[in-house]
Amino acid sequence: MSSAQVFYIINLLIYAGVDIIACLGLSQQFGVAGVTNFGFIIFQAAGAYTAAILSLPRQSANGGFQSYIGGWNLPFPVPWIGAAIAGGLVALPFTFLVGRRLRGDFAAVGLLITAVMANLLVTNYRPFLNGAAGLSLVPAPLQGEYNPQSQGYQWDYTVVTLVLAAAAFLLVRRVTESPYGRSLRAMRDNDLVADSLGKNLLSMRAAVLVLGGALAGLSGAILVGFINLWAPSAWGYAETIVLFAAVIIGGAGNHRGAVLGAILVPVGFEEATRYIHGPPGLVDDLQWVAIGLLIVVFLWLRPQGVLPERRRLAAPRIDITERSVVAPLVPTAQAEVVLRAAGVSRDFGSVRAVEDVSIEVRRGTLTGLIGPNGAGKSTLLAMLAGTLPVTSGQIGYLGGDVTGLPAFRRARLGLVRTFQLASEFKRLTVMENLLSAVPRNRGDSLRGALLGRRYWRGDETAAAERAWKLLEQFGLAAYADTYAGDLSGGQRRLVEIMRALMAEPRVLLLDEPLAGVHPHLAHQIGERLLGLCAEGMTILMVEHELAIMDEFCDPVIVMAEGRVLAEGTMAELRARAEVVEAYLVG
Amino acid sequence: MRARPGEVASIVGPNGSGKSTLLKALTGLIQMSSGKVRLGERDITGLPSEEVARAGIGYVPQVDDVFVPLTVRENLEMGGYLLPGRQVGDRVDRVLTVFPRLRQMLTRRAGRLSGGERKMLAMGRVLMLGPAVFMLDEPTANLAPRIASELLTEHVRALAADGAAVLIVEQRTRAVLAISDHTYVLGGGQVLMQGTPAELAADPAFTESFLGGRSVAG
Amino acid sequence: MSLFLASFGFGLVTAAVLAIAAVGFTMQFAVTDVLNLAYGAVMIAGAYVAYEVNQAGASVWLGLLAAAAAGAVASVALNQGIYTPFRRRGSAPITLVIVSLGMTLIIEFGLQAIVGGTNVSYTMSQGPTVKADGLELTAVQFVIIGLSVVLCAAVHVLLRYTKLGKAMRATAANRNLARNCGIRTDRVVTATWALSGALCGIAGTVFAINDGSFGATSADLFLVVILAAVFLGGPGQAYGAMAGAVIIGLATEISAAYITPSYKDVVAFVVLLAMLAVRPAGLLGARA
Repeated sequence: MSSAQVFYIINLLIYAGVDIIACLGLSQQFGVAGVTNFGFIIFQAAGAYTAAILSLPRQSANGGFQSYIGGWNLPFPVPWIGAAIAGGLVALPFTFLVGRRLRGDFAAVGLLITAVMANLLVTNYRPFLNGAAGLSLVPAPLQGEYNPQSQGYQWDYTVVTLVLAAAAFLLVRRVTESPYGRSLRAMRDNDLVADSLGKNLLSMRAAVLVLGGALAGLSGAILVGFINLWAPSAWGYAETIVLFAAVIIGGAGNHRGAVLGAILVPVGFEEATRYIHGPPGLVDDLQWVAIGLLIVVFLWLRPQGVLPERRRLAAPRIDITERSVVAPLVPTAQAEVVLRAAGVSRDFGSVRAVEDVSIEVRRGTLTGLIGPNGAGKSTLLAMLAGTLPVTSGQIGYLGGDVTGLPAFRRARLGLVRTFQLASEFKRLTVMENLLSAVPRNRGDSLRGALLGRRYWRGDETAAAERAWKLLEQFGLAAYADTYAGDLSGGQRRLVEIMRALMAEPRVLLLDEPLAGVHPHLAHQIGERLLGLCAEGMTILMVEHELAIMDEFCDPVIVMAEGRVLAEGTMAELRARAEVVEAYLVG
Repeated sequence: MRARPGEVASIVGPNGSGKSTLLKALTGLIQMSSGKVRLGERDITGLPSEEVARAGIGYVPQVDDVFVPLTVRENLEMGGYLLPGRQVGDRVDRVLTVFPRLRQMLTRRAGRLSGGERKMLAMGRVLMLGPAVFMLDEPTANLAPRIASELLTEHVRALAADGAAVLIVEQRTRAVLAISDHTYVLGGGQVLMQGTPAELAADPAFTESFLGGRSVAG
Repeated sequence: MSLFLASFGFGLVTAAVLAIAAVGFTMQFAVTDVLNLAYGAVMIAGAYVAYEVNQAGASVWLGLLAAAAAGAVASVALNQGIYTPFRRRGSAPITLVIVSLGMTLIIEFGLQAIVGGTNVSYTMSQGPTVKADGLELTAVQFVIIGLSVVLCAAVHVLLRYTKLGKAMRATAANRNLARNCGIRTDRVVTATWALSGALCGIAGTVFAINDGSFGATSADLFLVVILAAVFLGGPGQAYGAMAGAVIIGLATEISAAYITPSYKDVVAFVVLLAMLAVRPAGLLGARA
């Protein structure tokens, strides 16, 4: 093999390694967590520039023809570490765009614009990073001790790059295949519901931005150490699109897909065009057209990519004795009040949906909340759970005032709600849906995920055991590995209830849990809920199925036109004229 | 089910019985699985909602019932979209005599109206075309009882008095029975019983189907 | 003072070009809820159509008409052929944005493959320069301003007084209710894309005229400025786009006079990010 061919292969492998690391970072953000970071290239650029200015000597040393900050001539591996840190730090300001409730496409456009503008600013402000000309004569790592042009050095560089790529792969896999990764995917599928289950969306998005940013920064450092120069032309927003195309085509949400995509698109394209002969400008243009075409075609025909996200199968059961989650009810005549609303009102513009409502929910009760349409039941439930703020009044939980507390914090304190409309995590299996709700799993944080399976395996197994028991009680054990989005309507309702139970609630707020459920099963669920109350849980249930109220709920609160009308057992309420009127008159 | 000209036919039933779904299917917003819909002699099954409107059916949905960023006058004019230009002004005047309160807020954006005013605007919009059939989906939802009663007894009844066929879905069962000529009780997606208000009030099964009776499960 | 007036003049021209572009963009968003990032690509395609007409010997203003027609056809094809199928499938808005980026690549680089990588310019005279107390604009620039005013007035008349315009506003406000009024919303959407596509083609041509020379990727940066004007006024608000265009156009040019010119687009960028962070509905949009 001629030395030209050898250098060609080395070149190919190093670019592959760099693109793999970058695509893994992007896959973590976009494919796993659902953060569409169109500004991704900035992080790679930040890393490359940082590595350059950390390893370059002072400006004067090279004849002073380029102007830049820094120039401390630091030895390897400091510039590479600095690059990863820089990539991560640059990510932090972007969390303001993805954290709040901004429409996904608006936020993505904001990030795209930032990439364009960053490029413009660096190009035009010469003293910062030498403007459009960029930085050149960037020292290769350890170039004092070795000859960077020699084949031996270049092979070593290749090996280091590929080792780092493998390490990056193991790192993102460790994060993704953990309870934390499951929470990320839940956030991707339905962030509102993940929030109500206690997941801190802002911190999760910030974490993946920083992690992906660090990987991107590292990839930039590796690249700049090899090609020894870095200019704005290397990181336009077109480069971000290439990486996105790679992740989409390879398979978003599957890290092997990201690797495949990195090999197929950035690398594969470059190499393919080498063998296509034509005017060089034309070949480049057609390359871009082909990438655009691939993006559109793949999103249409195969949006899951070549290697789709793998189904995570549930681990087989081991029998453990079930620990009682909630303290059993001490039989007293009047249990204490665990949840109260005091003078709560809610306006929507000029419409007053809830007016001066005060209720008390006592421990161990299965309380029903009924009323005609528009009575304000769901609105009241939402205010109790924290998914909707009150216009006036207070919400008290376990003796403390939680009126200002957001939903995810209330969930962590044990005040958990379900939703009326479809809210399962569609691309998670039933078992994963249940596991995602577990509040205290050591693996459900970035730190826990990084510490590895041995750290969180105990919590995970215990949680899985509880999940299996629930699945059996609700009759869905055979569906543990089915994607929740593939279930029937009634089955999805059950998953919703089971998931809420997995959250170890002290007070459970159910919003029409039995809609679309077969009467026989509804009865069984009622029995189960009553059993949970006997064990100390408190449940408040909005329902229309009055037969269930009859059998299981005591007390039942009736609302009409935004106010509380009456409270008592169903038998008592039926005897009261105004309740009958409320239902027939509205 | 049928709605006759000059009559108010109401559809009542407990929640989840399929009342709104039925109206949406009839007006072409969602697709029917089976069955036929006829307007007079014409088969309008499966037509998209704009063609249903053009055929002469006016539909007032339960929510999203006005054009929020448009003014009251523009909302009414939009209702008269199918009319020749010259007639629009006259029709607007006519609607304003039916709903005089709207006259004072012609230039106000619909999003700023109160609940009752908004419903009147929603009905006024449909009134512009003077369709042969009115379909109203819970028009009194979220309205105060006095305004709700006024809406039903004065305005809805007046539509039928003018010769249109009115099909109205309602939660306020007593109130709508008072103005209905014929009532259908829906439960679990099927018609459980039907009759004139007098017949139903005398039937004990009627109250049962609302409070605690087992509705026919699908 | 004369520096201010001179930059004010340039600001008016930029605002004029921006207004035509931003109104078209925002109309597309209003009726279909899609951020059509391929808009810049269609603009430049229109500019090239005008160029071909111009090269064939005709005046560039005739080319402008051709560009309008080309823009209309291309935009309708884009919506019917690409965006509508994805939307009918229930794709998330972010998927549509990525698709529009893919279309940008196809259109821009497809164009570049055909016309080549060197910049071109129109064969036209700029006409006499008018000077007034520091304000200095060519006749062509006046024409551009005039054209923008006429087009914005036409859009105003369309939306306020014509049946189609009212149907557009209804469709944008509440598509289902518009259908209940008997409006054939599919046709309204097609008409909207045709008209906004025409605006897009015109915008591309005047952009190219104003810039002097242009190439297939010249509109990439301008798209940022368009987005800034659109989000400032409120996505989907035609009058907001006009107001946003004036503010951004003047702000970028006037600031360019006092700080380095190469940063003038940064003003647009800062405004855009600020709007997204603080008030995504824009100045004229409804409060969230």
